[in-house]
Amino acid sequence: MSNGAAAAVSSPRRRAPLPLVLAAGLVAAAAAVPIAYLVVRALSADEAGRALVSLDLTVELVVNTALLAVGVVAAALVVGVPLAWLVVRTDLPGRRLWGLAASLPLVIPSFVAALALLGALAPRGLLQQLLEPLGVEELPEVTGYWGALLALTLSTYPYVFLLAAAGLRGIDPSAEEAARSLGSGRAAVFFRVTLPALRPSLAAASLLVSLYVLSDFGAVSLMGYDTLTTGIYTRYEALLALDAAAILALVLVALAVVIVLLATRFGARGTIYRSTPGAGRQAEVVPLGRWRWPALAFCTSVLGLFLVLPLGVLVWWSVQADPITGRAGIAWDAALNSALAAGVSAAVGALVVLPAALLAWRYPSRIARFLERLTLSPSALPGIAVALALVFFGARVGGVVYQSLGLLIFAYVLRFMPYSLASTRASLDAVSPRLEEAARGLGRKPLGATVSVVLPLARTGILAGAALVFLSAVKELPATLLLRPIGFDTLATRIWEGTALGAYAQVAPSALLLVAIAAPLVYLLSWRNAWELGAAD
Amino acid sequence: MRKLTVAALAAVITALTVVAGAATAPEQTTSLTIYSGRDRVLVEPVLDRFEQETGIDVNVRYASSTALATALVEEGRNSPADVFWSTEPGTLGLVAARGLLKPLPQATMNKAPARFSTRSKRWVGTSARSRVLVYNTQLLEQSQLPRTIWGLTNSRWKGKIGIAPTNGSFQAFLGAAIHLHGEARMRTWLRGIRNNEPRTYPNNTTTVQAVARGDVAVGLVNHYYLYNVLADTPGLPIRNHWFQSGDPGSLVLAAGVGIVSSTKKHAAAQRFVEFLHSKWAQRFIARGPGAAEYPVVRGVPIRPGLRPLAQVKGPKYSLGRLSVDLPKAVRLLLEVGLLK
Amino acid sequence: MGCSMIRLEGVTKRFGTVTAVDEAHLCVDRGEIVALLGPSGCGKTTLLRLVAGFERPDGGAVEVAGRTCSGPGTWIAPEERRVGMVFQDYALFPHLTVAENVGFGVPRRERATRVAELLEIVGLTEQRRRYPHELSGGQQQRVALARALAPSPELVLLDEPWSNVDPFLRETLRAEVAEIFRPLGVTVVLVTHDREEAFSLADRIALMRNGTILQEGTPEELYFSPASRWAAEFVGAANVLSGPVVGGLVETPLGTFPANGSSTHADASVLVRPELLELEPDPAGPAEVVAREFRGHDVLYRVLLEGVELVSQRPSTEVVPLGSRVSIRLHNGRVPVVD
Repeated sequence: MSNGAAAAVSSPRRRAPLPLVLAAGLVAAAAAVPIAYLVVRALSADEAGRALVSLDLTVELVVNTALLAVGVVAAALVVGVPLAWLVVRTDLPGRRLWGLAASLPLVIPSFVAALALLGALAPRGLLQQLLEPLGVEELPEVTGYWGALLALTLSTYPYVFLLAAAGLRGIDPSAEEAARSLGSGRAAVFFRVTLPALRPSLAAASLLVSLYVLSDFGAVSLMGYDTLTTGIYTRYEALLALDAAAILALVLVALAVVIVLLATRFGARGTIYRSTPGAGRQAEVVPLGRWRWPALAFCTSVLGLFLVLPLGVLVWWSVQADPITGRAGIAWDAALNSALAAGVSAAVGALVVLPAALLAWRYPSRIARFLERLTLSPSALPGIAVALALVFFGARVGGVVYQSLGLLIFAYVLRFMPYSLASTRASLDAVSPRLEEAARGLGRKPLGATVSVVLPLARTGILAGAALVFLSAVKELPATLLLRPIGFDTLATRIWEGTALGAYAQVAPSALLLVAIAAPLVYLLSWRNAWELGAAD
Repeated sequence: MRKLTVAALAAVITALTVVAGAATAPEQTTSLTIYSGRDRVLVEPVLDRFEQETGIDVNVRYASSTALATALVEEGRNSPADVFWSTEPGTLGLVAARGLLKPLPQATMNKAPARFSTRSKRWVGTSARSRVLVYNTQLLEQSQLPRTIWGLTNSRWKGKIGIAPTNGSFQAFLGAAIHLHGEARMRTWLRGIRNNEPRTYPNNTTTVQAVARGDVAVGLVNHYYLYNVLADTPGLPIRNHWFQSGDPGSLVLAAGVGIVSSTKKHAAAQRFVEFLHSKWAQRFIARGPGAAEYPVVRGVPIRPGLRPLAQVKGPKYSLGRLSVDLPKAVRLLLEVGLLK
Repeated sequence: MGCSMIRLEGVTKRFGTVTAVDEAHLCVDRGEIVALLGPSGCGKTTLLRLVAGFERPDGGAVEVAGRTCSGPGTWIAPEERRVGMVFQDYALFPHLTVAENVGFGVPRRERATRVAELLEIVGLTEQRRRYPHELSGGQQQRVALARALAPSPELVLLDEPWSNVDPFLRETLRAEVAEIFRPLGVTVVLVTHDREEAFSLADRIALMRNGTILQEGTPEELYFSPASRWAAEFVGAANVLSGPVVGGLVETPLGTFPANGSSTHADASVLVRPELLELEPDPAGPAEVVAREFRGHDVLYRVLLEGVELVSQRPSTEVVPLGSRVSIRLHNGRVPVVD
């Protein structure tokens, strides 16, 4: 492009086709439904409703939630960044395998993680039984804040790991080489060049992690740590306290907004990090030398705690009945339901974001940006808030809509389409608008050009988005509990019901099945990551 | 090619929508939808038998009684529910107060003693249960147990009490106690309990299990969960303790059922209510595997070894009051910080 | 000249506050090869995109092959214009093979034959099943050409087609392209900032600056009769000599030249191309060689004559040492007056 108007040419201010705007607008409007509901509901709260949300308690819950978010983000960074660096940048033995294993805990829903950790680390749990011969009679209890922190770190550090790994691969090695030539040692380069370059990835990952913590219900509830989500759930469960639940949900949304603003300020866009394609050379591989052993010890202990331990507990429970609750088989019907609901949601979730993504990519404008943000906004909403809104609307519409599988899928799509939008957008950004123009110049109509050229090129991002939606939907608990059709059990609800009855061993096979369903997708996602790495060099 | 792709996508979406719709399309004629606050294990065998006997399909939504009551109010006339089977009279009372339950025929009302139903005839008791203190027999002697709930605020119970503050029966007990002893006294009691750092559990079952494990020494629960847990694992060191006569900790509560006003299947719903009062159902409720509730229909024997209802001397309290007292209990729990 | 293929009438295009194309007028006749030449940011690529239909003009009319494509109340979408385009980065579809790329714009029933035909022309029959990333830069360009030509457009637009190719390859590719286009009789409009490229390929050149077309003409016209001092300097190295006009003649250190109607008493400037200045070693000569730049087949000399620095381009077979005195002889050629 030798043109002074280059910037303008690459983002031509052309009028977007009306159907595209309407479609994107419709999806964005759906995304705005939960917030609108919460506001209406909270405003209509009467004296009795407001009495159930005292200021002291709200402050306590906000502080609890924020403390947990900060703690989990810090822990996930401490675990995820070194792992990523070891896997991407060093000659760590078996680094590809470590990389795959490190992303695997992504498939363990936080409430299953909590369940397994509780079982393993209880004062007289499995770990204590293993250590009994060594004279360990009782372990300190891991519940409350530290328990929730541990369980949520397990479920979220893979986000940090994956984004940091992608970020590390995307860094242009010449910057680091320049720093070396200017006299900086390896450590100085890491802190002065590498880490700042990772800032956008880390900010994005921190955002994802803190939003996950904010909307988590299962882990905090099992660990007995009071947060805004448990507060909302308590009020939902309490008699006729939906107004109070809505008020707390709005507080939660406000907290999420604050976090998004903080993350944006810290230097991240609200979307998933995208490494520049074709970063050219790969950075040099750092020989670990004698440090190999501490590095391996680090990897082993992280994955021992976050992967082997929980899975081990589940396997142990599956083969060995609990003395108090006995054991049960695998819930195949629930597994089928989970796969069906998550599968349809993944397909729909990938499709409905296309208008907004295409609009933002091809016809950037204030409206396109607004619609994109609105469509991304449910990512800051806790599942229970989405569910409350849909219960309200569903009940008013009634009939075939309310308590239908359709409504549950609608909830999944609403909650998780931000993931597919971010992923689709990232891959669209890598598609040159020239390609679409080339297709137009060769006689294709706009829709034809999009279908035959743009979408095939963005397919990895679209598929990754669908996979993320599937992964999230198959683990989803709070909205599922409130919205599933009568008699429609998913693996998540079965596991949850079992834990409510203390029947951990009974639900362990179902939990393993859930992990097994989700695992191939994570493998695919990290394989894609590896493939992109391969394509880049 | 591109037209094909578009058409294929459209077809897939349509197909998925149809599948999703078909999977949940409600049948209008032969199926009954029940909102059950009672646990699946206690309900499923009864429903199976009902389906066999009547040929009526039953769909159940399991959740806590309070959540289901909230849902019924929220759904209003669009509710898919035909029958509300609750563990707890307060929830039934609140739903009835909003005109969402139909009056039952006198014959149905006559099946259960008046103390386990309402004068308004909107719901009728299906079983009775008593509040108790379950304790671990390896950790405690019966003689060490308090004779009233007031004894639990003694500091020697620090860290040894298990409660389920989100549970409807616990809240009902507290509601009754508020009515009987006044809000101020119960606030003091709850603060005393809170200062003893009780462990909280999601429900009765997990509380009893925790007592069996020895995580806590005593738990405030309904009496029959002990038998439920013992049925899975006989020989666990747990036993029920009744507080002294008239103590709110020995309150006798009822589970009850009502027919949802908006139902279009009144006859089937009525049959279901009648079935719950049948000898078979009452016997299952009283003596089925792991079950140990008190039947409400005369002539059905209780579980062997269970203290007869006549010997359970709870406080005098009209269960119809719970629709007023239950919300007070929830507010107090939130105020004291046992609910958050 | 005719306007049978393209007619631009006062076309204007703004991006925000920037006016990229400012009331441009241009005519291209059927079968011509026209180069849009200009520096970076002159609006030439935008002009090309206006013709292709990738941009909508804010004013004026675009006519392609006698059809008004954009103008007041008229708009024909790019896919309806039957204009082939070769993008700067080629914009090959990375998910399609060479054959699929070439066949993309061809109706299905003609596709196989047409693809074979074009691959034959560009000499890529053997690579038909490869993907774009498996091809060299030159091969990629040939695919891009073949793809643009496949739907048999009457007009092909090339946007800086050689900017991504290294200089050695450029000349070969240029020759290749000319060979491909000439026999097909296709009209070609080429955007470039490289004057050599424009000179070697184009029948006619439109020189652009600041969004307007300054001058149109054959390469020779542009080179020897530039419309302005800026144009003179943009299309080649130039000595611009100024002096008073006396009796219809401009007086300069190199002598007097016809003032072509410039009024007396005012100053005027004339353009002398460096290759017109011959240097002759002469110890008593009026000029001195102050710099010398060996460029292979020629040598550039900077000589100082009466305080004016002049550039002379001589074959490298002639050697004039640095610092020597020379006399300057003006070779026969055109010495136009410039603004």
